[in-house]
Amino acid sequence: MKLDYRNNPSSFQHFWSNTGQPYLFLLPALIVFAAVVLSPVVMSLILSFYKFTGFDANVFKNFTGFDNFRILFNDKYFWIAFRNNFYFLAANITVQIAFALFLAIVIYFGRFRNSVLIRTIIFFPAVLAPVSISLAWRRILQQDGLINAILNIDFSWLSSIQLAIWIVISVSIWQWTGYNLVIFYAALQSVDRTILEASDVDGANWWGKIFRIVIPVLVPAIILNVILNLIGSFRVFDIVYVLTRGGPVHQSEVLTTLMYYYSFSANGPNKMGVGSSIAFVMFFIMIIFGILRIRLIKSEGV
Amino acid sequence: MAFFGINLKKGHIEQEYGIHWKKDKGFYIFSRILIIISIIIILVPILYIFSLSLRTKETIYQDFMFLIPKEFTLQNYADAAEYAKIHLNVSFLEMFRNSIIATSVSIVFALIIGALASFSFSNYKFRGKEFTFTAIIVSFVIPAQVLLIPLFFILRKIGVINTYFAIIIPYIGFLVPIAVLILRSFFEQIPKEIKESAKIDGASDFRIFAQIVLPLSKPAIATCIILLFLETWNEFIFALVFLQNPKLQTIPVAIAQIAGGKYIVPIGTYSAAIMITIIPVLIIFIIFQRWFISGMTLGALKG
Repeated sequence: MKLDYRNNPSSFQHFWSNTGQPYLFLLPALIVFAAVVLSPVVMSLILSFYKFTGFDANVFKNFTGFDNFRILFNDKYFWIAFRNNFYFLAANITVQIAFALFLAIVIYFGRFRNSVLIRTIIFFPAVLAPVSISLAWRRILQQDGLINAILNIDFSWLSSIQLAIWIVISVSIWQWTGYNLVIFYAALQSVDRTILEASDVDGANWWGKIFRIVIPVLVPAIILNVILNLIGSFRVFDIVYVLTRGGPVHQSEVLTTLMYYYSFSANGPNKMGVGSSIAFVMFFIMIIFGILRIRLIKSEGV
Repeated sequence: MAFFGINLKKGHIEQEYGIHWKKDKGFYIFSRILIIISIIIILVPILYIFSLSLRTKETIYQDFMFLIPKEFTLQNYADAAEYAKIHLNVSFLEMFRNSIIATSVSIVFALIIGALASFSFSNYKFRGKEFTFTAIIVSFVIPAQVLLIPLFFILRKIGVINTYFAIIIPYIGFLVPIAVLILRSFFEQIPKEIKESAKIDGASDFRIFAQIVLPLSKPAIATCIILLFLETWNEFIFALVFLQNPKLQTIPVAIAQIAGGKYIVPIGTYSAAIMITIIPVLIIFIIFQRWFISGMTLGALKG
């Protein structure tokens, strides 16, 4: 007869099969999490109180207290970068979501024979590398590029102090609207069609249908898209880096590009401590958003 | 399965509710015009760059507005390859090799580690389960750039800067949470009875994982691969900072140098270089487009 270790609580195998195994399966992920996420985050927070450069072997040598933050908060370009991230955020959660929502509803109501193809095309930029897209738009926005040819003007879009950040934001909206759109479209599938058909019988106009029947169903998807854009607008780096490098004169800088400038850029000041304090600020903002997001996920009962 | 009130039942057929031409001509025409304009706005920039990449030097400024060039040439693509070799010190073949190695190794490791963790989350009740899971979700929300400076020193300390591991290690860290988010809820839907009957037959938990759970999860794994592929294939800042050796650079980093570089790049060459980064993704997208959209929607809903 085979001895069943499950009934023998003192055996080692019993431990594995009952208590140890879940942790064993989890172990690789925990190691990765500790090594690549947790310890760097902690180290990053600590490093923002030290003064060091990329060439230092020991980065924990010069403790400087709040000096990095003092340098940062006295840097007017930090506040421009900070402001630009909020411009990004504002444009993403208003213009981009409005476009996506509007297009999703139009496609849904429009009875398009090739609705899948339409959505696929509008979604396509979301799968391309932001670098490729930015390079393409860089060419289009050059003085001898397509935009100026269409408008028949001679304007240097990317070196405009006022416009540069908005150009970057527009390119970002161009890339990600389709992504928000497919999320809205997926959510539209749970609109109750019988109610819509009943309202047709009652002769409801379509503004009424959209605002009374469709939008209420989409509220969770709107919240989701807002949260995605909250996170996305503080992560943005590639588009700014390729389109403007934060220029002209740091006017289109965002927190990530400013961090790169302070820490790694060949013509930057090589003050990695200040770079770390920017990371600290970003981390702080994202934790607030992150808590918000998890709260929402939990309240949705997922 | 419902996320944020969004139904994602398997095999869910999209029903069409819509406005009839006869009932509302105004909306019908308006919707067609709007969609056509949207498609033009999306496609023209890409087609324009494609068109530039096919033009000869003489015709590059001619017919600026027209997408179809009068004379076709593939010379620009040869020039772009030449330019990369001379000025960027990396051939197209090397760029693609680097991207493929970094992407595939990261995905394989992240999938294995993520699947094991997801199995643990879905199969057992244990202390600290939800806390660990929440910690993993939070790490998904932190902007990766926060980790850039500390990881630079950590990876330099262990001597992997300027090797593939310099980006593979961080990538695995970023990908595991995505894999766990997708796979956990899928694993949880696998009926308990199947696992229990295997257990009665004497299968170990690892065997249940490898021979029952994994084969049943092929669709979720496919979705996962698509998401992880996009994350790594398009990743920029880590590859930019951690791989200083041009021979090891991935496609986005190598190509990004044609903008704002020291040398003036002819328009045709520049456009051809962009198209070389777009075309492979386009082909993969066309083949797997259904997976892309459902995968990215799912990734967003769960992430």
